[in-house]
Amino acid sequence: MSARTRLPLFLVSAAGLAALLGFGVAGLPAFGDYHGPYGLVLNHVVLAQRHTTNVVAAVVFDYRGFDTLGEELMLFAAVAATALILREAREEEARQVVDSVQSEPVRAAGLAAVPVVILLGLFVVAFGYLTPGGGFQGGTVVALGLLLVYLAAEHRAYRRLTPTQVVDVFEGGGAAAFVALALGALLGGLAFQQNFLPLGRIGALTSGGSIPLLNWATAIEVTAAFVLLFGEFLEEVMVERRPG
Amino acid sequence: MDVLVPLPVALPLLAAAVLAAVGTFLPAWFGDLVAAVVSVAVTAIGVVLLTRTGRHDLVYWFGGWRPSHGVALGIAFDVDGAGAALGAVAGLLMAASVAFSWRYFDETGPLFHVLLLVFLGAVEGFALSGDLFNLFVFLELMTVAAIALTGYGDEPAPLQGALNFGIVNGFGAFFLLFGIGLLYGRTGALNLAQIGRSLAGGRADGLVLVGFLLVTAGFLVKAGVVPFHFWLADAYAVAPAPVCVLYSGVMSDLGLNAVAKVYWPVFSGPLAAHATALRAILVTLGVVSALLGGAMAFLQRDLKRMLAFVTIGQIGIGLVGIGLLTARSLAGTTLYVVSDGLVRGSLLLVVGVLIRRIRSCDELNARGGGLPVSGVLFAVGGLAIAGLPPVGSFFGRALIEDGATGGYRWLPVVLTAASILSGGALLRAAGRIYLGWGSDREPVLGEEQASPEQEEPAHPPRGSLVVMLASAAALLVVGVGMAAWPGLPGKAVTAAVRTIDRPAHAAEVLEGKPPPHERASAPAPSGTSIAAGLASAAGAVGLALLALFGGLEALARRPVLRLKALHSGIVTDYVTWLTAGIAALGAAFVLALR
Repeated sequence: MSARTRLPLFLVSAAGLAALLGFGVAGLPAFGDYHGPYGLVLNHVVLAQRHTTNVVAAVVFDYRGFDTLGEELMLFAAVAATALILREAREEEARQVVDSVQSEPVRAAGLAAVPVVILLGLFVVAFGYLTPGGGFQGGTVVALGLLLVYLAAEHRAYRRLTPTQVVDVFEGGGAAAFVALALGALLGGLAFQQNFLPLGRIGALTSGGSIPLLNWATAIEVTAAFVLLFGEFLEEVMVERRPG
Repeated sequence: MDVLVPLPVALPLLAAAVLAAVGTFLPAWFGDLVAAVVSVAVTAIGVVLLTRTGRHDLVYWFGGWRPSHGVALGIAFDVDGAGAALGAVAGLLMAASVAFSWRYFDETGPLFHVLLLVFLGAVEGFALSGDLFNLFVFLELMTVAAIALTGYGDEPAPLQGALNFGIVNGFGAFFLLFGIGLLYGRTGALNLAQIGRSLAGGRADGLVLVGFLLVTAGFLVKAGVVPFHFWLADAYAVAPAPVCVLYSGVMSDLGLNAVAKVYWPVFSGPLAAHATALRAILVTLGVVSALLGGAMAFLQRDLKRMLAFVTIGQIGIGLVGIGLLTARSLAGTTLYVVSDGLVRGSLLLVVGVLIRRIRSCDELNARGGGLPVSGVLFAVGGLAIAGLPPVGSFFGRALIEDGATGGYRWLPVVLTAASILSGGALLRAAGRIYLGWGSDREPVLGEEQASPEQEEPAHPPRGSLVVMLASAAALLVVGVGMAAWPGLPGKAVTAAVRTIDRPAHAAEVLEGKPPPHERASAPAPSGTSIAAGLASAAGAVGLALLALFGGLEALARRPVLRLKALHSGIVTDYVTWLTAGIAALGAAFVLALR
């Protein structure tokens, strides 16, 4: 198709499609006038059924935990995909890159922030099913804390801190633990992903049965996944590619 | 609840995660072994599940959250005959691919097998799920793994095909998600049966029509139905042959199956009054795909691209079966895609043998360069694609054609024409490559797609050649020989009757009420469909001989060249076609279905 045909065809089709989407959206309930049963029912039953004060966490890790399993594996697969494609064409010999931060105050402040950010991430994970937060969100924050090592110091320090083979174990292990917990219920004669632990006292860190374990498995997987992803992309900048 | 139901998803995903964690510390064959064991186990589970779906679906509530008062809080798998069969096919194709490529993808550590296992788990989830959002999750998971598997390999510039795959499928997924949003906004439900029950009382207003459009289009992109098919040929051309086996044999088929799987429980209520118009639209779409796929297959010289277009054409025939909106033709589609998918998988493995031996899958370059055994497999596969009675897919096509009523009596003629083109393309290639017939110059087929790699032909060890050919033969035998399973068409029709009975299906999923058991029978194929099958096979042989000995210069005309030129490999073109296709389909829906 020549550009002279393509553009008009696209514009006409896109306008038609936009009209269709508008036609569909017009059939939705008015803003703020939603009467779907899902949220209402859950708000009533979650505390009694799961002893989890964060209803969203109960949905993510239990009621619709099977979606989460798929989504967690999506991140896992995306990282494996990136590594598979990028590693294939990479030269072993690294260019001599001088990327260490020269300003001492920046370095000091950046490195001082590392433990703070990691601690914040761990906090977001640990209380994820009691207050807003969770393994996915907290895991991202922890990984960003580790990335600060690169930003405030240098690439080599980041590599030393996060050796791929070790991070691989955490990434695969976190994902495997999530699936294994679901299968464990099956071994006990329960449904896949059904809770098999005591529900605990509402509001305590030990509440929610297996949700804390799933939450931590997710946190480990997400942290490791982002650490690997950052590592692959940094490597891509730092290392020469095979010609052709 | 049947304890086996979650395993086809859980086992591959667990194996993938464990392999990623410890694979680098283990010898390279470990990945092959894990993938082989898991895919065989998944195949076996799929077959067992299939035998258990004879009288009712297997409904499985994750976390044990059964619905109360018709409201589903959790996610359900709803395993019916078609889903279980496609799940088993996926396992079998993967087992064959893994056997075929044993120790071939060693150099990047365990990652190739990790992604293969994730892909298998996603395919199984997509085949078995009964929840609209969960279908989206597994569709996306399938895409993520597939893009990487496409972009990886020894073809030149594989990333181009992977990129086209990613962008076009990304748009497809966006439309699907938009449609899910609309339906959830109206009904507050994600379980297919529950959405359908909520919509059943209402009429087909804008939201329902646009929701149907977007969800269907999202699946049709995956299935590779014209005009959403452009990415597919590019992806096949660059993906390693053992990966193409999974795309062609099951990914497209699942996209197609999802259309029926969502239409009947969700939309058949509000759209019931417009069945005639909807039938016309869907059958047209299927016929166009069938003819265009066949024609484009005939114009290829790269065998993987040829098989991509064969897939597009065959999926079009399957869409006709779904679009006729009868139980019999729906059953026909199920049989057709299952049997045909295995045959296509086998053909791709035979192409893989050719690539492994002479490092090319170019019909003209490979003239006279094939192994005789491969030639037999390829020719039988070509005849099976054409639908020669009594191979497996013939029974499917006969059910589709015989299920056509009223104004659709012309269908056998058109489907025969499409099969002649697809089968003729394959048999022409078989004659040229394995018998050395015809010329090695055919300018109409175009420049060689892939830049030639001036490498010495490889000489794979005899043992591994035997394994490769045996995997191809196994798929072919199962695909062709399915017809020998006594009463299979009847079982398929029985399952399809349950699928289209929306209220009974909803009661089964949401209240656990056993469905009424009506054992439907499938009448023997009619004389017309037997004649159509024989004509397809004879026509395909004739066309192939004509092309080999008469040459193809007669095709060097403007419309033919224009058609080829449309498949430009430029992703902006593809997105334009996607947009235009959805807009046109939407316009047809809005005008005809209100």
